[in-house]
Amino acid sequence: MKKVMLLTIFAALMLISSAAVAQTATGTLTVTATVNGSIQLVFNSDAAGVALSSGAGTNTATLAFGNVSAFGAISAGIVRSTTATTFTVSSAVDVLVSKTNSASANYTLKAQLGAADAVNTWQVGGTTVTNAAQSTVTATGAYAANSNFPVAITVPFTTASGTLISNTINYTATAN
Amino acid sequence: MLSKHKTIRVLAMMALLLAAASAVAQTTATGVINGTLVNKNGISLQFDTDPAGVTLGAAGTNAATANFGIVSAFGPLSAGVTRPSVTAASYTVRTIFDVQVIQGGLNSTTYTLAANLAAAAPTGFNYKVDAVTLTTASQTLQTNGAYSTAVPHNLDLVISTAAPGAGGPAVGTPITTTINFTATAN
Repeated sequence: MKKVMLLTIFAALMLISSAAVAQTATGTLTVTATVNGSIQLVFNSDAAGVALSSGAGTNTATLAFGNVSAFGAISAGIVRSTTATTFTVSSAVDVLVSKTNSASANYTLKAQLGAADAVNTWQVGGTTVTNAAQSTVTATGAYAANSNFPVAITVPFTTASGTLISNTINYTATAN
Repeated sequence: MLSKHKTIRVLAMMALLLAAASAVAQTTATGVINGTLVNKNGISLQFDTDPAGVTLGAAGTNAATANFGIVSAFGPLSAGVTRPSVTAASYTVRTIFDVQVIQGGLNSTTYTLAANLAAAAPTGFNYKVDAVTLTTASQTLQTNGAYSTAVPHNLDLVISTAAPGAGGPAVGTPITTTINFTATAN
């Protein structure tokens, strides 16, 4: 009788033990990625210049000087100079180049007009830019800082009043 | 004489019946097999490709691979990989994968899913599943997983923007990490 009782208790314990063991399933997910260094260029409004009318913080922005003239009133943020035959309007524009996963110390910035302009002269950061080829604006640009590279347009006095002047400037930053 | 003929006919008939019976018996056989089985309970886990994520290698098994391809803070990404955030210090690339847990013979209605890194994360990397930063210690991702359905999970790689050698990851070479998952019946 005692033996039967012991066997019964043992069997019960075995059942309880079996029920208490949690059922589990396992799996492994192997994850692979290849990191590449990269840089990014965005335009920002400069406090001293004309506010970008669109695209600030992106790499596709619009700078609108509005109405300009050699001697009349001029909008805030525009710097004007005149010669005997031309006048130049200029606005500060910030270029911000960021780098990631790169040991590059600085960058080279180049600019090029999107379309030819045989009448007006365009400059970025004091460097004349045309559509013929890229012009180097700086060879030692500092990363992660807003760098002011003013955009200037020199307009001849012979230009008819009301003439719209518009062009695209393409910028390229290359990690050194 | 008539009686003798009758007797012969009866005997002939009986012989034919016996022969017929014998022939039927030769084409019929019967038998009984007593089969037994023991129904064992259990659960299984498998990884499935999510329509919004990268295509898994060995999908449908419990040992799958997820390849993000080339990743960077600003450059193009592979199909199924997104970049939900970029900060000065780090950026995150994400894909989605599915986990499907199947159970049989259990009274359990849900499962708990946990995960851990098989080894310490490579320099410049952090791994997250559903916002839980993984370590080599097991951590719970979900406590009420539904059985027999592909449950999507976000897999995030948080990558330092620092340069190699300055706290950032190695560049230009594949970096591989294994994540262990465990599903436990509730």
